[in-house]
Parts: sequence; structure tokens; C-alpha cells
Amino acid sequence: MREWVKLLILVAVFLAFYLVPIDVAVVTASISAGLILLQEYARLHVLTCLVPAFFIAGTIAVYVKKDAVMKLLGPTTKKYIAYPVGSVSGGILAVCSCTILPLFTGIYKRGAGMGPAVAFLFTGPAINVTAILLTGSVLGWDFAVGRLIAAMVISIIAGLLMSFVFREHDRKTTDNGFATGLESDVPYSNLTVAFFFILQLAVLVIFGLAIDPSLKAILVILLVLIIAGIVIFTFRKEHTMEWFRETWNLTKKIMPYLFVGVFIAGTIETLIPREVITRLVGENSLPANAVASTFGAFMYFATLTEVPIVQKLIGLGMGRGPALTLFLTGNALSLPSMIVLFKVMGKKQASVYILTIMSLSVIAGWLFGEVA
Amino acid sequence: MTIKVLGPGCMNCKTLERRTVEVLAELNLKADVQKVEDLDSIVGYGVMRTPGLVIDDKVVWQGGVPTKEKIKELLESVPAGRTAS
Repeated sequence: MREWVKLLILVAVFLAFYLVPIDVAVVTASISAGLILLQEYARLHVLTCLVPAFFIAGTIAVYVKKDAVMKLLGPTTKKYIAYPVGSVSGGILAVCSCTILPLFTGIYKRGAGMGPAVAFLFTGPAINVTAILLTGSVLGWDFAVGRLIAAMVISIIAGLLMSFVFREHDRKTTDNGFATGLESDVPYSNLTVAFFFILQLAVLVIFGLAIDPSLKAILVILLVLIIAGIVIFTFRKEHTMEWFRETWNLTKKIMPYLFVGVFIAGTIETLIPREVITRLVGENSLPANAVASTFGAFMYFATLTEVPIVQKLIGLGMGRGPALTLFLTGNALSLPSMIVLFKVMGKKQASVYILTIMSLSVIAGWLFGEVA
Repeated sequence: MTIKVLGPGCMNCKTLERRTVEVLAELNLKADVQKVEDLDSIVGYGVMRTPGLVIDDKVVWQGGVPTKEKIKELLESVPAGRTAS
């Protein structure tokens, strides 16, 4: 962070404290609403959902063999394989948002071409494993699955459209491809890693079940013991340390923003009048979805903060369709990311990409609102 | 020798750069460590999963932060004589 940015932030915080009339009813009400939501997250979601989710994300970062996935996005891969792989690989290859652009550029310029690269670019941030798990925990699993499937389908359609519109831009020669086979993958069998992964997922699922608390505790302790057994007897110490490091890095990066986001989400409950929300996005109509899509596209949500925001907007009367639309564009697009896209893809391609994503999200959200 | 750490500037890339510098100091090796942040140059090496490590223009690592032992191994695998520069 630049020094003058820090100064600006400090001045803004100072002015806020200086000027805001804290003792006015609406301000006290919104502050306490923010704190109440923070407590709800601390009590209901941090230990039972976020902590396991961060460990799962750490597992994906360290133990999943990514070279194998990358090969499926190479220049010689058949299109009908590259597109689906591109649409799901975001959840596997890009646990950290800063890895998305190099991967996109690489798949586009040296790998399977523009279509699969676009599919990857869209789903990379959208199907992040922690985001899906938190969505399920907070808003219900129908939302989580809807978000997952809509993102995958949209990404493939957007990829196909982009590669059709800009077919003359897609380079045909297959130059040197990717650097692979650098033994950066871990030496464990897929079965071991899958088992390890499923065990952690099971911890999270059992936390969410409505069963007797003591039975729940026994099951969780049992699972944690098996996980510890695998870590101690099967995995090498250096990889375990990497796993902890990745998990901790993610936690460090996401949690502070999430807490701020939760607080802000709590305050909007009292700051935004209910009528505004119900009028704009209360029904599952195409205009309502378009409003949600545009808002999500320009607004920047730090990872995971979209969940409490949408939760509170639903509380204020937002329809389920527009809520899903907001999830779809909220993660994939923001004003800062648009600026980067313009630089990486060029004006024409970036505009087509942004408009495609925005309109497809409207359709997907509308469908979700009609069906569910 | 010239070592390049490829990565747009995220936490993992910084960790790799720090570990590399530490290992070089432990091994008493002199090297010119550069940070490459430009996307096109990173992809130019065929590296997509950052961070990547390039020793004397050869990609030796990508897609994660190697342990210090691994970095030592990678540095020592560079043919002798070239490390003298």
C-alpha cells in the first residue's frame, strides 16, 4: 500500500469519527445491528463452517495435483474437454485470486484458447470452495448449489460466445505450451488425497446436521482423529507444514475483510429503507434481475463478504432470483477488475465479456427465481 | 547466476522470494534475484500457476511455494561453474 493511500484512509476514518453524530437514533441502531450480525457469524459460522472451509481450501492448494488439470487445458486438448474443465478448474487451480490472471493469460495465449480461458476467468472467483460452503451454511444449500451450477453453465456459454465472436483473434499455432513436469505436485495417490478431502468435508457437513449435540461431538472428534492419523502417518511433515501455512495465509487474507463486510452488511439493514429494496429487486422480474446484475458488476465485494450482504438484502425483501444474480456478477466483476480486464483483453473483448456475463447472469437469476 | 521469482505480487510469491534469498545466504551463494511481475513475461516462461522460479532462464519450479530444502536442491542442480558468476 502506498503511503498516501494510508494517509487518505486515516483522514477518512478521522473525519468519520469527527463528523458522524453517534448519538442519533438511526446511527446507534445501525451500529448495534452491525454488531448483532457479527455475533451471529461468530457464533454460528466461524467455527463450524469457516475454519473447516479454510482447511479444505488449504488442502486443495497443497495436495491436489494441478499439473494433471493443467494438461487438460493445453493447446492440443479437444474443445469438448477443455470447456468443462475450464469451467470447474477455477475451484481447484485458483484458491488465491491473484493466480487467476496469470492462468487466464496462459490458457488464452498458450493453452486451449480463448473460450476455455474465459470459462476459467469467470468461474475462478465464482466457485471458490470457501464461498460456496459459506453460502450453504448461511443461506441454505439450494443457494449454494444454484450458485455453483449457474456459474459453471454461464462460464461455458460465455466462453463459446467469446470464442465465436472473436474467432479470428484465437491463435492457431500451438507454440511451446506450458512448463509442466516440474515435480511440484505431491507424491500421494489420488485416493489418499480424495479421502483426506472428503473427511474434512464430512466435518463441515456434520456440523450442519440437526442431530443430537453429543452424537455430533463424537462424530466430529472421530473424524478429526482420522484426519490427524493421516496427517501423522501418511503425509510428510514438510507438506503438512505447507498445508498449515496455506490455510493460515488464506485465513489472514480473508477474515479481517469478512468481519468488516459483516458489520457493514448489518448496518445496511437500518440505513436502507425496506421499500427501496422491495421496489427495485423485490420481485423476480427481468428489470429486477438487471438491477441486481448491474449493481453486482460494479460493486467490489472482498472474498466472502457478498454472503452477509446478500443475506441482509434478502432480509430486506430482495427476491431469490435477483439474489442469485447478485452472487454471479458480484464475484466475477467489479470496477477494479473491469479496469484490469480492459488492460489484459483489450477494449472490445473486455466490453463483450462484461456485457455477456451481465446478461447471462440476469437470465440465470431469473430462472433460479422461477424454479426455486 | 540469475534467479527470477515469477509472480504478480501475492503472498505466496513474496514468501518464495524471501525463502530464496534466505537459502542463498545459507549456502553462501551469490546470485542476482529478480522479481518478475509482468503477466506477459511470466506467461512467456510457460508459467501459469504462480509463483514460479527461474534459474538462469530455465523454469525449475511453479505452482506453489517450495520448502527451503527443495530450493536448496533446485539451486544445487544448476551445473557447477555457472554458479560462480
